[in-house]
Amino acid sequence: MSGGPPKALPSTGPQSLRDMPHPLAGSSSEEAVGGDSTPSPDLLTARSFGDKDLILPNGGTPAGTASPASSSSLLNRLQLDDDMDGETRDLFVTVDDPKKHVCTMETYITYRITTKSTRVEFDLPEYSVRRRYQDFDWLRNKLEESQPTHLIPPLPEKFVVKGVVDRFSEEFVETRRKALDKFLKRITDHPVLSFNEHFNVFLTAKDLNAHKKQGMALLTRVGESVKHVAGGYKLRNRPLEFAAIGEYLDTFALKLGTIDRIAQRIIKEEIEYLVELREYGPVYSTWSALEGELAEPLEGVSACIGNCSTALEELTDDMTEDFLPVLREYILYSDSMKSVLKKRDQVQAEYETKLEAVALKKEERPKVPADVEKCQDRMECFNADLKADMERWQNNKRQDFRQLLMGMADKNIQYYEKCLMAWESIIPLLQEKQEAKDDSVEKKGRNAKNSEHTVLTHRISSFVTELSLLIKASDWVPHVHLSRQRSPRQVILGSLEAGVSRQTLPTRLCGRLAHSLRPSLQSRMLLEGGKGDAFSPVGTTPG
Amino acid sequence: MEQAAPDPERLWQPAPLEPLSHPDAGLESMVGEETKGARDEGPGDGTMTENNFSLKKIEISVSEAEKRTGRNAMNMQETYTAYLIETRSVEHNDGQSVLTDSLWRRYSEFELLRNYLLVYYPHIVVPPLPEKRAEFVWHKLSADNMDPDFVERRRIGLENFLLRVASHPMLCRDKIFYLFLTQEGNWKETVNETGFQLKADSRLKALNATFRVKNPDKRFIELKHYSDELQSVISHLLRVRARVADRLYGVYKVHGNYGRVFSEWSAIEKEMGDGLQSAGHHMDVYASSIDDILEDEEHYADQLKEYLFYAEALRAVCRKHELMQYDLEMAAQDLASKKQQCEELATGTVRTFSLKGMTTKLFGQETPEQREARIKMLEEQIKEGEQQLKSKNLEGREFVRNAWADIERFKEQKNHDLKEALISYAVMQISMCKKMKVELVDSVAEVQMNKPSCDTSSISRRRGEIPKYSVIKALIAEHNS
Repeated sequence: MSGGPPKALPSTGPQSLRDMPHPLAGSSSEEAVGGDSTPSPDLLTARSFGDKDLILPNGGTPAGTASPASSSSLLNRLQLDDDMDGETRDLFVTVDDPKKHVCTMETYITYRITTKSTRVEFDLPEYSVRRRYQDFDWLRNKLEESQPTHLIPPLPEKFVVKGVVDRFSEEFVETRRKALDKFLKRITDHPVLSFNEHFNVFLTAKDLNAHKKQGMALLTRVGESVKHVAGGYKLRNRPLEFAAIGEYLDTFALKLGTIDRIAQRIIKEEIEYLVELREYGPVYSTWSALEGELAEPLEGVSACIGNCSTALEELTDDMTEDFLPVLREYILYSDSMKSVLKKRDQVQAEYETKLEAVALKKEERPKVPADVEKCQDRMECFNADLKADMERWQNNKRQDFRQLLMGMADKNIQYYEKCLMAWESIIPLLQEKQEAKDDSVEKKGRNAKNSEHTVLTHRISSFVTELSLLIKASDWVPHVHLSRQRSPRQVILGSLEAGVSRQTLPTRLCGRLAHSLRPSLQSRMLLEGGKGDAFSPVGTTPG
Repeated sequence: MEQAAPDPERLWQPAPLEPLSHPDAGLESMVGEETKGARDEGPGDGTMTENNFSLKKIEISVSEAEKRTGRNAMNMQETYTAYLIETRSVEHNDGQSVLTDSLWRRYSEFELLRNYLLVYYPHIVVPPLPEKRAEFVWHKLSADNMDPDFVERRRIGLENFLLRVASHPMLCRDKIFYLFLTQEGNWKETVNETGFQLKADSRLKALNATFRVKNPDKRFIELKHYSDELQSVISHLLRVRARVADRLYGVYKVHGNYGRVFSEWSAIEKEMGDGLQSAGHHMDVYASSIDDILEDEEHYADQLKEYLFYAEALRAVCRKHELMQYDLEMAAQDLASKKQQCEELATGTVRTFSLKGMTTKLFGQETPEQREARIKMLEEQIKEGEQQLKSKNLEGREFVRNAWADIERFKEQKNHDLKEALISYAVMQISMCKKMKVELVDSVAEVQMNKPSCDTSSISRRRGEIPKYSVIKALIAEHNS
């Protein structure tokens, strides 16, 4: 079942490339000399266009120039995952800089792949090539074919599932770029796959099409044989642990599918919420145009709702960009896991058939033939590889999901913090307004009625400041049910008197606060008996 | 036009000041005094209470609602909700305080009271009643009139209405209002005896006035315009808010699905199991917290709703003014035409071509006696008209003055209330954000505890705490200084 190309290939790859009379060799060497790691897009596009014109007839890809980029700026862009369990890493691959190519035949996107490595398999410390999705697909097929016992990471779907999405839209390309980057990183991190010769070719070859054609014939043959074997052999007994893995994967895929749907639904709901919020804010602006004194507070509320909706938009974007792709990857992962499991079952089946055949002939020949032994070895190797990969995968999964959930919670926390800030900024606005008015009233030196009123409003506004500070400062708010009958003010007074806030505030301060508030609250109650919140101190309401 | 002001004295008097032979007469007028005093003198702080606690004070509350079945006028079975109104006069100085009184009223009686107030105090922005049927609700709340949530909100609304009336400097002195609070039986009859319905202006007339008034008062035009705008903007706001609440509800509730899936998923995971389980639990909490949040928001919506209905009350004042202006203009016109007639008769010249001129030409001059009599009659009418015009003018001015005073009072109340409403809305949002954040931080911490190897997320935990402590510090610093 080994369908790999000749062994000599990986080492000859880069060399042959160098010898190859490439039509653009001149320009690429120039670039190499210049050491320009980030070639101007124009130049690159232009070159790709040239490439494409030459190579397209055979349906291939314009492989980017394998220029040994030597700028340190690239290093900065390399995102080092620190989660690697102490493994020293000697291979770094990044996917970036997507470019759209348009020609008469087709339109497609290429991505720049930059490789840095100290491994001996690589002749140069750095490579930079351009690849398109097809090439990634080719790589994955090759990997699957040459390392059948290993779990190959999934590629992003070829097309968006419910895709009305523009294949060339910026978001789609960016999402795919990230997914492809993840794909290559997973291979890079893999102790076996990262040494695969096809992977090497993929990362370094100037012209991938040559390699692609080479493998073509073999691929089809292998594909057939796989299909042949797959012809519905029923396993007698799958080992327990693999049966468990199989079951696990089924449930896992199911749950992730549900989570994915929920996440999409939430995003949909959030977007709709956003739409409504966008309408909600301006209504306050409209209202503020009608009012004199209230204009500023209303405008403030409007702006605040605007800020909240911006925060919400960011949250939704983050969810779409960070949360969904990971879920997708793992859903796809479970598919490739299943296919590896299936392959393993085939190998076991093969072995069992052979064993059976031998058992029949056992009377004649007591010794187990060599090929059956070999088959058993293969099966055991397979099992071992798969188990190791499974473990790796479990580890990755744990880490990824932990990060995912934490990240999600973090994003939400940030969102609430932003909203919090927005709303908190309103309160001083509302009060300053009030105080400013009171000051002006005082300056005009009106009668006692007004100054008394001023004192009261001062008290009230300072009270509200304290209230907001208290709410900010303490955790008890969630525990106190803000019932409709009891305004927050009542609740706070009640809590102050009951000493609820002792957790967060010094008792002395608490007492002082309650003491200073009591008279003003009481007079307020008398004065405002008929006002909106029907204020009365806790306990005096009959019934 | 005539019956609009048959008894101007009665109409423009604030209220029957002496409650006539009622045992608790003193109390009632005290109520007025007290509230008026409170309003006018603006008690500043604790010291004020000493002055006012010697006064009798009345506490009003609508403390209970009850579903009842009874027979209506058509002798048909009907179900309605009755509300228990409790009043309590409080003697503050000597401690022996309580004089509790309670009686049941139903919504239609509140309506009757308000209609009566509207008629008798056209220059006052009469506080509105809560809505008869739930409007601007988001889907989760039912629009059923008997829904306990709705009844409860209406109970609060009705209490608020009574408190607003009681705190109004004029309305609180009204006898009918007082009886409404204290006299269970025969109240309806007493109201009807006042004959307020006769004084009510028909809608048609009001509409007529709107189109015919020649010299409308600019201020009232503006006010009317404002109340229209206010009404439309608040109703728009409420509609959008209901939709926002709907969406928000959706967002939170869908998170609840995570809770289920996470806990199902946790069953198949070994090391991640606990973390997922607690994440799921937190998702459940997160999802269920929306109920409280939206319930709190309903209170804000109710506050806005009150002002939505206040807009209508403002308009009623404007309409009344228009009507009076119309009456005035009609009277003036009438008077002018009579004067002209009189002049014509006196001088014998006919300035305008009229039927009368024709008849004179055709049938010869009237006898001087007839003419004399007619002139006399006209002069009398003119005199009467002039007097009427004078009184109407006076009335009008009085009305404008009173109305404007009350509108100013209303404006102040509105600015204050709405500002309060906005502040409490903001505080509500703050506490909501705070709560959700704490919840999330907790969940992060818990998940983290289950995964001790993770160190990256401790940042978020710390992040959740920093603001809290800094605020406490600030608060303490402020109080020490």
